[in-house]
Amino acid sequence: MELSWSTFVLELINFLVLLWILKHFLYKPVLDIIAKRRAAIEKTRAEAEALHTDAEKLQEQYQRRLADWSKERQKAREDLAREIEVQRAQKIADMKSVLQQEEEKVRVAESRRQIDALHKTEETALMQAATFATRLLEQAAGPEVEGRLVDMVIDELNQLPPDRVAEIRKSFEATPGEIQVSSAFPLSDDHRQRLEEAMTRFAGRTVPLRFGQNKELLAGVHITLGAWVLSANLQDELKGMAELAHGQ
Amino acid sequence: MNDGNIQILPLFSLGPLAITNTVVTTWAIMALLGLFAWLLSRRLRMEPGPVQTAVEGVVLAIENAISAVAPEHSQRILPFIGTLWIFLVIANLTGLIPGAHSPTRDLSATAALAFLVFLSTVWYGIRISGIKNYLRHYLTPSPILLPFHLISEVTRTVALAVRLFGNMMSLEMAALLILLVAGFLAPVPILMLHIIEALVQAYIFGMLALIYVAGSIQSQQLRQKQKE
Repeated sequence: MELSWSTFVLELINFLVLLWILKHFLYKPVLDIIAKRRAAIEKTRAEAEALHTDAEKLQEQYQRRLADWSKERQKAREDLAREIEVQRAQKIADMKSVLQQEEEKVRVAESRRQIDALHKTEETALMQAATFATRLLEQAAGPEVEGRLVDMVIDELNQLPPDRVAEIRKSFEATPGEIQVSSAFPLSDDHRQRLEEAMTRFAGRTVPLRFGQNKELLAGVHITLGAWVLSANLQDELKGMAELAHGQ
Repeated sequence: MNDGNIQILPLFSLGPLAITNTVVTTWAIMALLGLFAWLLSRRLRMEPGPVQTAVEGVVLAIENAISAVAPEHSQRILPFIGTLWIFLVIANLTGLIPGAHSPTRDLSATAALAFLVFLSTVWYGIRISGIKNYLRHYLTPSPILLPFHLISEVTRTVALAVRLFGNMMSLEMAALLILLVAGFLAPVPILMLHIIEALVQAYIFGMLALIYVAGSIQSQQLRQKQKE
């Protein structure tokens, strides 16, 4: 156990040399390669984190887009539902309008049918009434009835207003000739005279009257001068009533 | 194992320097480590093989141990402490090779290593804190404590050298005695103990050196922080 100074010095030098060797050929290269690997790992990790962040962003964007699509789909559904509701309401309104029109048509047709039926009933009634009246008047007609009808004609002619009288006179002047007077029964002289007086007063001159007999008139007279006709007999009245029934 | 001669004998002389078997063994260890490091440095890859993985594991283990004690200066003191650990492990285990002697059973070698530890504490303390601040710590908290500081520096350095020398020397001597007394197979447990002891002593020496250096650095920094 003695201390050798030469060994001491050489060991000092040896250790320092070994320190230099290991520092330059072991620690530095190994630590550098470890640092590089750590940097590469850190870079890879950073890239992975960046990718993860991008993926999260994409996922978030995708979720947002999905939400937007969901909203748009919901909105489209609501719009479609509204449009369907509007169209349905429109269709219902159109259908109601068509139904109302059809109902109106049916109602009008029914009303017309009822009116026609009423008219037919009335016409039938009038025809039956005319037939009944004709049969009744055929039985009841006679010289007395005819006389009263002639009196009624003469009274009406005498009560005509002056302008009407002037109009008839103008017609008489435009149509010269005799006046044809037909009756169902032979007129009495008094009636013939009164008729001549009335015609003369209308014509403003003496007009020859030619009296004739027509049994179809049932009772009353039928006076004609050209186009001017004056009927005051049962046949024409019944015919007028029948025509009136047809006219309605 | 040694061949029964545990004396330190000079093999030859280079001028005034006597070259002992301790120095020659140290040179052999240096050559092996240097060759290994050189070959390894040429074959470093980003995807390491088994050898590179083992070496990186050793370096990272050393770095982690240093970071646990001096986290702010681990890169700076790693070469010194790491070289101490690696050299001491190999040097202590060299005694297991037949015909070879562990350099650490020579007090001159352990004294040189302990002296280097002492110099390193001064070196790192001055480099990090400045020479004034470093020298001032011998006068704190009171100049009266200067002799005690000096004695402490000397005694811990001597203790460092003698502890390693004594353990390795006694281990080799015990193995030699058992071999002489008990025959061929009896020293096998002693060889196992030699391995454990070699690793433990290397660890203790390196850890103490680390604590001394870190204490030298951090005591200065702690003082500066207290002033601030």
